[in-house]
Amino acid sequence: APELAIFERRNWLIHLHFVRKEYDTCKVIVKEQLAETNGMCEYAVYVQALILRQEGRIQESLELFQTCTLLNPQSVDNLKQVARSLFLLARHKAAIDVYNEAAKMTEGDWEISHNKGVCYMYLKNPEQAKVCLKEAISFNRNELSYIMLGKVYLAEKDIHMAIDVYKRAVEFSPENGEVLTTLGLLYMQTGQFQKAFEHLGNALTYDPCNVKAILAAGSMMQHHGDFDVALTKYRVAAAETPESPPLWNNIGMCFFGKKKYVAAISCLKRANYLAPFDWKILYNLGLVHLSMQQYASAFHFLSAAINLRPKIPALFMLLAVALTHLDDPDNAREAYEQAAAMDGDKDPMVHLNYAVFLYNQGDRRGAQKQFNSFETATKAQGNVEIDPEMLELSSKLGPALQVGESMVWQQKAKAEVKPPPLPQVGLRTH
Amino acid sequence: MDPLFLAYSYFRRRKYEQCVELCSQLLDKNPYDQAAWSLKTRALTEQVYIDEVDVDEEGIAELIMDDNSIAQVARPGTSLKVPGTGQGAPSQGVRPMSQSGRPLTGFVRPGTQSTRPGTMEQAIRTPRTAHTARPVTSASGRYVRLGTASMLSSPDGPFINLARLNMPKYSARPNLAKSLFEYIFHHENDVRNALDLASGATEACQFQDWWWKVQLGKCYYRLGMYRDAEKQFKSALKQQDMVDTYLYLCKVYVRLDQPLTAVEVYKQGLQRFIGEASLLTGIARVYEGMNDMSNTVQFYKDVLHQDNMSIEAIACIGTHYFYTDQPEIALKFYRRLLQMGVYNTELFNNLGLCCFYAQQYDMTLTCFERALSLASDDNMSDVWYNIGHVALGIGDLTLAYQSFRLALASNNDHAEAYNNLGVLEMKKGRLEMSRAFFQAAFNLAPHMYEPHYNFASMSDKVGDLQSSFNAARRASDAFSDHMDSKQLLSSLRKHFAML
Repeated sequence: APELAIFERRNWLIHLHFVRKEYDTCKVIVKEQLAETNGMCEYAVYVQALILRQEGRIQESLELFQTCTLLNPQSVDNLKQVARSLFLLARHKAAIDVYNEAAKMTEGDWEISHNKGVCYMYLKNPEQAKVCLKEAISFNRNELSYIMLGKVYLAEKDIHMAIDVYKRAVEFSPENGEVLTTLGLLYMQTGQFQKAFEHLGNALTYDPCNVKAILAAGSMMQHHGDFDVALTKYRVAAAETPESPPLWNNIGMCFFGKKKYVAAISCLKRANYLAPFDWKILYNLGLVHLSMQQYASAFHFLSAAINLRPKIPALFMLLAVALTHLDDPDNAREAYEQAAAMDGDKDPMVHLNYAVFLYNQGDRRGAQKQFNSFETATKAQGNVEIDPEMLELSSKLGPALQVGESMVWQQKAKAEVKPPPLPQVGLRTH
Repeated sequence: MDPLFLAYSYFRRRKYEQCVELCSQLLDKNPYDQAAWSLKTRALTEQVYIDEVDVDEEGIAELIMDDNSIAQVARPGTSLKVPGTGQGAPSQGVRPMSQSGRPLTGFVRPGTQSTRPGTMEQAIRTPRTAHTARPVTSASGRYVRLGTASMLSSPDGPFINLARLNMPKYSARPNLAKSLFEYIFHHENDVRNALDLASGATEACQFQDWWWKVQLGKCYYRLGMYRDAEKQFKSALKQQDMVDTYLYLCKVYVRLDQPLTAVEVYKQGLQRFIGEASLLTGIARVYEGMNDMSNTVQFYKDVLHQDNMSIEAIACIGTHYFYTDQPEIALKFYRRLLQMGVYNTELFNNLGLCCFYAQQYDMTLTCFERALSLASDDNMSDVWYNIGHVALGIGDLTLAYQSFRLALASNNDHAEAYNNLGVLEMKKGRLEMSRAFFQAAFNLAPHMYEPHYNFASMSDKVGDLQSSFNAARRASDAFSDHMDSKQLLSSLRKHFAML
């Protein structure tokens, strides 16, 4: 029988071993084949390059793919692989150039447009990225393109467009846990808890160990006071990722909600040990210590948080509360001032606490002023539910200050500074 | 006064130099004075005597060319080479690991820092916290240095010329042989001649004296003939139960990499000597070597029941509590150490850290100040490193940065400080600097997973997936259960596999 063309004679064998992931055997055959053909066998070089990439040796694999393009300059696949290697090596501009070249040879290739979009994303050129990714989606609806497009929008902080994109992605592939989770988190950020819960629940049915979804769902349960249910959810997550700071933070706040303060502190401290830069954990630690009446410790945690994140009014307010209890009214007043100045009449709590503080200090006029800002802030918030404790306190303080609509009371309000409701720290969205 | 009586008196009062001098004078007068001769050998021995039970550091040669262990790939939990998964121990993410793959110990003793590397390359690298460049090259080298003591003390040649000694004559004389043996073993450090003498002596007493068997075992142990040593110790134990013999036997088993047998023998010893602290300590050490923290702490507590002044036990338990989120209790243990009169940098450093994590802020800084004032060049860097951590804890990033810098100033090879500096630089957004710091860190200490992972995640962010992949792989080699590395790796694999 006549011999087959010598170059391609054993391609089938190479392919067989490659798809079985028998890389060692594959490499041996490739080597033999290349020796036989003086390195002219395109397919052998191609497969070797793929194997090298799998092993993380991208630079060498790039050189081999370049050899491939020399051997067969007409092949789009080779060019695409060269571009992909460049992309993996973080040489995004070069990658885009090669992709453009490849695009000249073929029409309507989803992969080229998609990868170009991703490259533009890394080059911080969101406009071009969006154009390319949308083009990719028009060629071929693929969830990867949707995810990337969503990421571009998120990087621009355009949550609504991102939600839109992810919604279409979910329609296209309703069982992708990652997409479902991200969509749920985005809904959470916009305050649509019902929808968020729905999507997170879906994500958990397809993948019950999805830590991100568990954390998000758990934090929503915490929000509604279902601490025990949340804790059982977290138990699953803790087995998966025992070193996750947000997880320990949420567990700590669950215990805090159940009024188990010591457990709460020890969980939060572990979270802080694992992530010393996370201001939310420090904030929660400060809060728990405030309610444990350990004001000096609370002060330290809060001041650490402020050092890390100096722009959060709530931190200054809590610091002021701690300082009040440490008998340092001057600094407390300054902290309140700082908080109020940063806040700009958004959070009624700051003003209410400040008013109470001033009232207790005997500064009636200042207190009245703060109380008025409190009322405007509450009105500005409008339909949002107001904490009953806050209402009760204000209804006592108002008459005592002789402002507001209710009638004058003789009795002095025994005002007590209340910490704000627990901030529920969800997880960091990447 | 009778000069011999005076010499004995000096000996008892541990004034060995005077004792040796007197004996020399006596021997000058009468070279055949056996009493003076024997006393002089004993005095000379006592000057350089080291208790063989504890001190033992394995050298590179012994570690690499170890042909005594039974299984090269032992099952987990049965070998000191492959520390187990760690029962009851906090994970590596919480309690740092030493180069040998074990959690940092609370008490540095020979063998806790440089044990059992897999390859030569690994053996030569710096241990995690020790300042010394690398493990001892060879145990025999150490003994040679101990032996040189003999040349200093006698300027006019050695006291006894071993080469001209008639061994059979002496081995038949039990009154002289024992002190002569100890002299040869400890002072001259000539194990072969000591072995000759001992084997002659044990024959001369018809193998009835357990003491000679123990000495034979010691000689075999020094020569690396562990199986023979084991035989001698066992036979000595049959004749006479002694704590020392149990300890020697267990040392043999540890060297043979049979920790479970060692524990078994320790427990047998405990049946005869109930509550013997040195045996209990031995068990605790073996368990610590196997990474079994719950048993370790249990036995150290037993030690404290018997001997409530055991520094090692207190320090180890304290460290355990510190890393299991109970700094308040750790603080108690360390305070106990302070009350007992331990007064050094490490203790004050630990006290400072415990105070900080137990929120006793008033004491923290004073402790660290004390630690700094006591610190030597060796541990200065560690103190600054910990101060840096405290600074991170109070959110003072500038102080943290400076502290880590100072740690590096006193020890150029402080890998942890490099890593943390890298993290701080990353927070400031200076990626090039932080990349350099991470690289320095993982080149110095490849057994730490943190710099590998940090490097990987940073490279991933800028899109350099090749470096990221390689670094992530190294990270999960160093810490196989690290979730973040695993997730990063799997996402990178997806990238690579996509056609």
